[in-house]
Amino acid sequence: MSSDLQWLLIRKYNSFMVKKVPEGPVFSREAGNLPNLHSYKYSGLANSKTVAVADTGSNVQITYTKKSASPHAVNSAKATYSIRSRSGPRRSLGVAAKLTKRGYRADLRPVLLARVSALSASKKEPKSRPAKKPRGKKAKAATA
Amino acid sequence: MASRPTVNVRSTAGEATTSLPLPAVLTAPIRLDVVQQVHKSLAKNKRQAYAVNVKAGHQTSAESWGTGRAVARIPRVGGGGTHRSGQAAFGNMCRGGRMFAPTKTWRKWHVKVNQNQRRFAVVSALAASALPSLVLARGHRIEQIEEVPLVVSSAVESLVKTKEAVTLLKSLNAYADVVKVSTSRKLRAGKGKLRNRRHRQRRGPLIVYNEDKGIVKAFRNLPGVELVNVRRLNLLQLAPGGHLGRFVIWTESAFGLLDEVFGTFEKAAVYKKDYLLPTAKISNPDVTRLINSSEIQAVVRPAGPKTQKRPWTQKKNPLTNKAVLFRLNPYAKAYRKQQLEKKSEKSKKEKAAGEAFLGTLFAP
Repeated sequence: MSSDLQWLLIRKYNSFMVKKVPEGPVFSREAGNLPNLHSYKYSGLANSKTVAVADTGSNVQITYTKKSASPHAVNSAKATYSIRSRSGPRRSLGVAAKLTKRGYRADLRPVLLARVSALSASKKEPKSRPAKKPRGKKAKAATA
Repeated sequence: MASRPTVNVRSTAGEATTSLPLPAVLTAPIRLDVVQQVHKSLAKNKRQAYAVNVKAGHQTSAESWGTGRAVARIPRVGGGGTHRSGQAAFGNMCRGGRMFAPTKTWRKWHVKVNQNQRRFAVVSALAASALPSLVLARGHRIEQIEEVPLVVSSAVESLVKTKEAVTLLKSLNAYADVVKVSTSRKLRAGKGKLRNRRHRQRRGPLIVYNEDKGIVKAFRNLPGVELVNVRRLNLLQLAPGGHLGRFVIWTESAFGLLDEVFGTFEKAAVYKKDYLLPTAKISNPDVTRLINSSEIQAVVRPAGPKTQKRPWTQKKNPLTNKAVLFRLNPYAKAYRKQQLEKKSEKSKKEKAAGEAFLGTLFAP
């Protein structure tokens, strides 16, 4: 079954579609959809090769469909590799792009990196800011 | 023809043991429109007749008062001594009147669907149930299972206890779909609550068996799980709501019987008279592959040089845009300067009006 035909079958409605924004974009929440947009290119269902990025809590895991997988395989068609949490944002982007570098869905590279960097940014602990110095009335009250 | 793909048969413990060739039905063309249309009609065949009472709104001897009494000419209830007398009756706009076009029990409740169309829809729905993406798109939780179609050894047909059924589904990693059903159970909105449809819930896996040796009783109490014999596959179960891709769990013997029940593209079905599977209109629906095929690439014109729709940024009007004007006409700049100078001289001259002149302007 070609992915073009599968896309035609799931394009109109499927359980992952989100049409909440009136007149706005149609989103999709399946696992292999990197920008979460309802489109053929980004669909995690229709395409035979998909890349999914997930946060496991300890690290970021990248799941992709094996090239040689049978079209009927579900769980066994997936392969994963993870980005160690101690590798910084720059290094983790390099690790994430490994897949696309070897010609696997090179068209997904920018969205893949965007998702990985968003996840690594969310993991970063916010910098501690110096305590605010009191000014004006409060400063006077503090000194007095 | 390439060798037919095979499907693993799983033991009750969940691991693959033997394999079976993929039945031809599961490669049949998938026609969403046919499935939807046939489902729409078939779903009507379980309806029961309903109608309002034939006499409703007509159990009064009202008659119109005619013209001349400054009231509408609608029939009015006769007599006196009660509030009802003199009130309008019968009309759909009247209180206590009949409804507009009262419903009748002789409405056409059932819809006939041609046998070949019904079979086409069932075959389509079966083919869709063999594609992981369509089963996922229907909302079944099958991410953890190994394979679609999921075939289990025939030993499960003799399961008797629901506890065993649960362990089987867990070992197949298919129990998540049952859990989804049980968490989705909600109280139905509206009057259906009083009419034996108290709850609504998702649909779980459909288990297809060849022979019931206890499997039906073992599974039937699991929420959302439905069971059906291979010989009696039904579109309403294979594509609930007309949505393709029901999660189907086959027993080995049921799966092996599919080629007999539906036939193949060459061999007629045993269980249906003279039935051959519908063939697809095109053998390769892969658009990218078609475009890049040497046959098509050989006949298409070679790509010409790249053309840009608008090579300039934006066309500017030299009559209004000075910079463009000066580029086109180098003299324009000097000419414009002269004009401006002349104008400023003129205005200076005009400004210097004599005092005598101004004095004559005003009236004494």
